[in-house]
Amino acid sequence: MKPESRAHEFPLSQMIYGRLLLAYPRLHRMEYGAAMAQLFRDQCREAWNESRNWGLLKLWLQVLPDLASTSIMERLAALKERKTMTDKLASLFGFRVTPAGTFFRVFILVFLLVLITSVAITFILPESYASTARIKIESDAPTANSQPPAYDSYFIQTTFEVIRSQPVLEAVINKLNLDVEWGKKYLNGEKLQTSATVELLRQRLQLAPVKNSGLISITVYSDDKNEAAEIANAIAESYQNYRVQIRKEVTGDAIDALQEQYRDQEKRIREAQAEVEVLGQPSTGQATSYLDKTRELDNLVEFHKTLFSKIEDKKLEAALPGPAFQIIDRAEPGHAPVKPNKPVDIVLGAVAGIFLASGAGTASAFLSFFAGRRLRKNPAVA
Amino acid sequence: MVKPETDSTSRLPLTPAVFHVLLALAGGERHGYAIMQEVAQSTDGQIKMGPGTLYGTVKRLLAAQLIAESDERPDPQLDDERRRYYRLTGAGEAVVRAEARRYADIVTIARGKKLIGKTAIVSLPGGCP
Repeated sequence: MKPESRAHEFPLSQMIYGRLLLAYPRLHRMEYGAAMAQLFRDQCREAWNESRNWGLLKLWLQVLPDLASTSIMERLAALKERKTMTDKLASLFGFRVTPAGTFFRVFILVFLLVLITSVAITFILPESYASTARIKIESDAPTANSQPPAYDSYFIQTTFEVIRSQPVLEAVINKLNLDVEWGKKYLNGEKLQTSATVELLRQRLQLAPVKNSGLISITVYSDDKNEAAEIANAIAESYQNYRVQIRKEVTGDAIDALQEQYRDQEKRIREAQAEVEVLGQPSTGQATSYLDKTRELDNLVEFHKTLFSKIEDKKLEAALPGPAFQIIDRAEPGHAPVKPNKPVDIVLGAVAGIFLASGAGTASAFLSFFAGRRLRKNPAVA
Repeated sequence: MVKPETDSTSRLPLTPAVFHVLLALAGGERHGYAIMQEVAQSTDGQIKMGPGTLYGTVKRLLAAQLIAESDERPDPQLDDERRRYYRLTGAGEAVVRAEARRYADIVTIARGKKLIGKTAIVSLPGGCP
């Protein structure tokens, strides 16, 4: 035996396998139980040396079906060899029939099988990480008397649909090259179609409002923790760009109207300046009209300046996402996988095992009780 | 279950597990783990016997007197004395030879029908070469 192997005698695996050997008929166990346990120990060492815990897990996945099928075969074989009903029941359950004993043994067997299966499934399931970005959103529409906007479920739902929409997600896919990266993972290196990538992205995306706030959490699940964070941040940014674009379109119309007014104002200023020049000549002798026209010209120039600054403000407003949108928290790579939740899954497996084992144990105990009573009433059956 | 009979051909065909255990023991006495390793190695890992399958097969072969438990150890100093060794009996050898011939005949038929080439290796049900 190698020294490395000697350090690992796998007491838990051996203990569990030793208990599972109870599934075989007693005579078979007496004859081959020790040899089977020794063979299993040898297999454990080989599996451990091959690939440590993963090797042990693979061994259990091979041994459990083997144990289940061969124990049933051995029990049926033992059943055929028995002559009396009592012996048949004894060989079926592995001991002389007593309801309490039946319950106890069937309970242990079923409980261990369910627990081991749930543990195996928990460790086989691929790990999934989650990363969450949080954004603050408010409607761009102005609110009356500057009050903070009330919770608007319609607006929140609309925002969710916009975030999940093709234009927003396509921008994320293009930025992170997801159709190529996921093609490598899921399509043997072939590039995924954009529609398929969008669908995959939607499946991994979870949106939720943060209670009592105007915040939305954007959560992304992935088997790669860095990828999950990158995608969540990219979605927040893509939605931000979308809002900017919408603002540009809305304010663009306002700017056009203001510019039209601005040009009109320029024309009126030029006309007024010409009139002032004519009225200002000494030969005209219209000093009062000249002063009035000069004041009118000053007013026109002042309004012209106001229009110019309004246009500049609108242009700046169009380029910014505005106070109605803000990325509050950027997503960070998760430290631990969120799925499977191993402790919870194992506890659930144990609870399910207790329920199933209780049911199977009770049914077996009743079966053995009624079979025993029938034997006592009618010994001819045996 | 394989029943003790005198005519080796009457026991055929053998199940894959039985055939592979007999084939493993045709190379000499072996304990359970060595049989399992021999079967895995000779089938390129296609057949991996669990303890239940192996000792269920051993039990039936012992009952059919195709194998017997060996009292002698190849080297008692180097081995765990609790290990149980098994060897082929005369009947077991006859049966495994008959089964091997049967496979050879099947291969000849397949070659005649040009289903496989002369050097081709075929996989028969159960992974038998």
